[in-house]
Amino acid sequence: MGVSIVPTLKVLKPAARFVVVATVGIVAGYFANAAFFPGTRPEQPIAFSHRIHAGDNEIPCLYCHVQARRSISAGVPSVNKCMGCHLEVAANRPQVRLLANYWENREPISWVKVHDLPDFVHFTHKRHVAAGIECQTCHGPVETMEVVSREAPMKMGLCLDCHRKNEVQHGIDCWTCHK
Amino acid sequence: MANVDRREFLRLVGAGGVGAGAGFMLAESIKHPVEYLIPYPVPPEEFSPGIATWYNSVCGMCPAGCGISVRTREGRAKKIEGNPLHPVNQGRLCALGQAGLQVLYNPDRLTGPMIQNGERGDDAFVKATWEDGLSRTAERLAAARRDGIYVLSQGVRGHLANLFELFMGELGSDRLLHYDFAHPHPLYAANKRFFGEHQLPYYDIRNTRYLLSFGADYLTNWLSPVHHSLGFGHSRQGNDSSSNDGVRGRFVQIEPRMSISGAAADEWIPARPGTEGFLALGIAHHIVADGRYAGDDASLWRTALAGWSSGRVAGLTGVSEGTISRLAREFARAEPGLAIGGGAAGNHTNGVDTLVAVNALNYLVGNIGKAGGVVFNPDPVTGGSAIDRQANYRTMQNLIENARDGNIDVLIVNNTNPAFTLPRASGFREALAAIPTIVSLSSFMDETTLMADVLLPSHTYLEAWGDDMPQPGVGFPVGAISQPVVAPLYNSRSTGDIILGLVGKLGFNEAIPWTSMEDFLKDGWREIYERGSREPGDFDSFWRDVLVSGVWGENARRGGSVVIAPGVIEGMAVSAPRFSGESGEYPFILHAYLSTAMYDGRGANLPWMQELPDPMTSIVYGTWVEMNPATANEMGLADGDLVRVTSEKGSIEAPVVLFPAIMPDVVAMPIGQGHDALGRYARNRGANPIEILAPETESASGNLATSATRVALVATGRRAAPVKTGGESRQLGRGIVQSTGSRSAPAGHSAKLNSIPIIVESAVVESA
Amino acid sequence: MSILDRFVSGWREFRKDGYYEEFDYAWTMTIDLDRCTGCGACVTACQAENNIPIVGESAIDKGREMQWIRIERYWEGEYPNAKLNFIPMLCQQCDAAPCETVCPVTATYHNQDGLNAQVYNRCIGTRSCAVYCPYTVRYFNFTDHHWDAPLEQQLNPDVTVREKGVMEKCTFCVQRIRQAKDHAKDDGRRRVRDGEVQPACVQSCPSEAMIFGDRKDASSRVSKSMNDERAYRVLGELNTRPSVIYLKKVDADAD
Repeated sequence: MGVSIVPTLKVLKPAARFVVVATVGIVAGYFANAAFFPGTRPEQPIAFSHRIHAGDNEIPCLYCHVQARRSISAGVPSVNKCMGCHLEVAANRPQVRLLANYWENREPISWVKVHDLPDFVHFTHKRHVAAGIECQTCHGPVETMEVVSREAPMKMGLCLDCHRKNEVQHGIDCWTCHK
Repeated sequence: MANVDRREFLRLVGAGGVGAGAGFMLAESIKHPVEYLIPYPVPPEEFSPGIATWYNSVCGMCPAGCGISVRTREGRAKKIEGNPLHPVNQGRLCALGQAGLQVLYNPDRLTGPMIQNGERGDDAFVKATWEDGLSRTAERLAAARRDGIYVLSQGVRGHLANLFELFMGELGSDRLLHYDFAHPHPLYAANKRFFGEHQLPYYDIRNTRYLLSFGADYLTNWLSPVHHSLGFGHSRQGNDSSSNDGVRGRFVQIEPRMSISGAAADEWIPARPGTEGFLALGIAHHIVADGRYAGDDASLWRTALAGWSSGRVAGLTGVSEGTISRLAREFARAEPGLAIGGGAAGNHTNGVDTLVAVNALNYLVGNIGKAGGVVFNPDPVTGGSAIDRQANYRTMQNLIENARDGNIDVLIVNNTNPAFTLPRASGFREALAAIPTIVSLSSFMDETTLMADVLLPSHTYLEAWGDDMPQPGVGFPVGAISQPVVAPLYNSRSTGDIILGLVGKLGFNEAIPWTSMEDFLKDGWREIYERGSREPGDFDSFWRDVLVSGVWGENARRGGSVVIAPGVIEGMAVSAPRFSGESGEYPFILHAYLSTAMYDGRGANLPWMQELPDPMTSIVYGTWVEMNPATANEMGLADGDLVRVTSEKGSIEAPVVLFPAIMPDVVAMPIGQGHDALGRYARNRGANPIEILAPETESASGNLATSATRVALVATGRRAAPVKTGGESRQLGRGIVQSTGSRSAPAGHSAKLNSIPIIVESAVVESA
Repeated sequence: MSILDRFVSGWREFRKDGYYEEFDYAWTMTIDLDRCTGCGACVTACQAENNIPIVGESAIDKGREMQWIRIERYWEGEYPNAKLNFIPMLCQQCDAAPCETVCPVTATYHNQDGLNAQVYNRCIGTRSCAVYCPYTVRYFNFTDHHWDAPLEQQLNPDVTVREKGVMEKCTFCVQRIRQAKDHAKDDGRRRVRDGEVQPACVQSCPSEAMIFGDRKDASSRVSKSMNDERAYRVLGELNTRPSVIYLKKVDADAD
């Protein structure tokens, strides 16, 4: 045939540079987003510090996150749980006053979820706590965190590695988590 | 690299920047949106997040009164199951019962009191407060004539029925009516006439060996369908060799159009509509004439039944003489056999006569008071007055006339919809215009509620306190408390609380001192508790036990001998059925039937019920006319042709569906669609066959004879093929449903194609 | 061994007769056609339990209905001797499932409980599995689904809500099986007892036509029921080895 792509390429050649630079830009922008704005350390409505509570004061995780042992979701403590201490303890600190405000209005606190799994993953805290896995295994050294940040990648590889290593019964059956 | 001048460089930087921006936004767009973890300020005691809480209650979807267990998560109802401890349904539940969740969470619920701001029947309601709504209603009630106050409610039992009675008593009015379209008035009347019984008996299908059903669709909507299904299943295959000598129950269904019960039956016998009573008498004649009845009054029976030979009956019914005598033989030999009646047979102009004849059959085979037969029920522990309040068509006609004559000042409607379930010929909708004040307690904007002036919406049954003593009973007293399984969604109130609110406004507090339905209920149950010989102080644990188990019962069965009312035998007769319309002009008899999904129309606003394919035709979302294929052929009608169905009283349109199991001169239509209100899923869909029914009534009971209307069918020339989920309706040799010739398959009977051995896998895996 | 030999021996290993005897549980269901009345309680119970969407009239008209269990009805004969037979049809959880062989991404496979597992997040929507299934029990989500508020409050949190583009089918209520195993573990490592787990359809059936259990437990109700003389498998000649076994309807008047 007498048709060739070469003339088209010749016409486009000057734009080649732009295409290359733009592509490099797209890739750079994408990863820059992931690097600088990973969303792993969101700002919370109250500047609650796990370092003070779980670290310095050595309050056990399950004291506040009561449901973790009995339910699929660990939950966060209800406002009255916090007030159990903070009605008296450190009542003058500004953050605690914020908390007291919520309590007086009986308003729930909208904590931003840090460890979020997709809806099609049915993770159950009960079984993992019952298996004796430390919270820090997936949640990282929470007792040292001023602001909770997501240390683990929360991807399926994390789950599978652990399930394989510990030879969990039916651990790699898809329906164990993706029912 | 080639020369890059400044302009070029800037352009490249721009391209890179735009690219970076695009890449950044791309990454941003695929990020999971932020989610929040929101704890309670004070966690509720009733549940833990992530763990289900179960509540036992009572189903309110039909009058059977099954016990339910509702699974809730975080205060939301997720799934309704049957309560295993409740003797009516024993852990099972029908499709309509499952759909109760869609009543609770229906998008078209009335969310709070409203007042009509336009003309009657306009959709111009404006929001109001309870104070306002109750005050207005109380004002009108106080100003009304005593006899001008009418309360029209769905059938209620238990303590709510008592509360209604107290309220009416204080109002000084006796005009309390319970109106349910499907209430078996002729059955009550027949039991009254034959046995002198006020209650319906318990029909022990479970233990029968031969069920002869005259039109009663006992598996779908006759009395207590889940209980009957349990009994059916057991009678069929529950009797193994270790009990009841392994006899498989036989089921015979006599009706002009095969119902679900007809499909389940071993034998479906079409008899001319309205002649089922003759058939019953013919069978009775044979039982006596062939010497199978040896009671003291045998000669009385012989005389009474003399004129009902199989020859005569065959001519009247279209059922052959051979079949009549065979049925008589089989039924009498069954030990026990059980005969029941209802549906089209009961709802005819001779319906009570027919059901009395059916009672005669039970009497003649001696199954009264025995297992597998007719067992009389004790009176319900409370709320028994409700039976007498049930309004039949004649009562409703009186109401309509009174409205027209200006005798009604206030009409209070509670969750019943006569504007839909009464024929147009009754004039109900028009009569409402003459009533100055109409107040509706209904949870939904149905056709009747649309005509109200004040709306005081009630909770759905899953949000309200109440109780139920099922009727008919199961042979011994049973009661269950209906408790809220979720906090009320909207600004509605329970029916009982609305009545008590009116009590407060009207100053009836001395006679009716309770301020909440829960208190009224608890006090009522205190009385029930004290019936037994228990420590008075322990009521609270009793109350808790009844709530937790979901049921209460007493081991108190009716004893005593069976006495039939005097004169019944001598007066045994069935009058000829009357039809509206001449057969020349209206060649078909219209058989309008109830389905599980729609029931009397209440299922139409539940999407699960709209999407539940009709079992016989697999049609969804519509109305249709079932015709015998040969008849359709003669008329040149094909499946999906739109026809006009006309009676003396009106006409509707629906597509034709060819139905192999219907008599040639009968057409059948399901009831339930054809709403012009009741929400988005129900409105403007299908047609309502009740509309065109002729107001023929049965003289003894005043019941509407729903199967006494003749119709004509005319092709419109248009097509409106119904939507079906099922494909080919014949097996074409594929062997999908297989049957075997006896209770167990005889040796060598299985088809060669199916000779794959069935493996029992044991827990021990042997090593190779 | 050559590549071909390795492939063939691997395949034989995968599909050998003994492969499925290593099941942990072997969930089986029997349906007694002599008890089934065609009432449809199972259909609605399943819809409520498994977040089955309402697809609407026009979708059903296109053949896109969404019912993990459906009641099929077959007429026999003509008036006045017409008979109607009902048969509930659901995923048969075939031990030799044709659908499992075709999925290009292994979104469907056989798990250690004898169940045919469908993984929604893995499915790419080729729909070949639905074509391969001889029972037509696989349903595709042709659209994203919407629940008019507040109907979505009823959705079961233990079951994934499926999006457009994935196949779905009956799972024998795997969420209930998982929960039963969870409770068994709470009680100290015991096996799930017979009758402890019932799929929604089995639990609701008013005529008790359905029995569910573990056929590896020889004393379970389902083990006895599946060895009834009337037992058969639908389209058994195709050798799909279904885990749903039907009991023949009894025609009392047949010779």
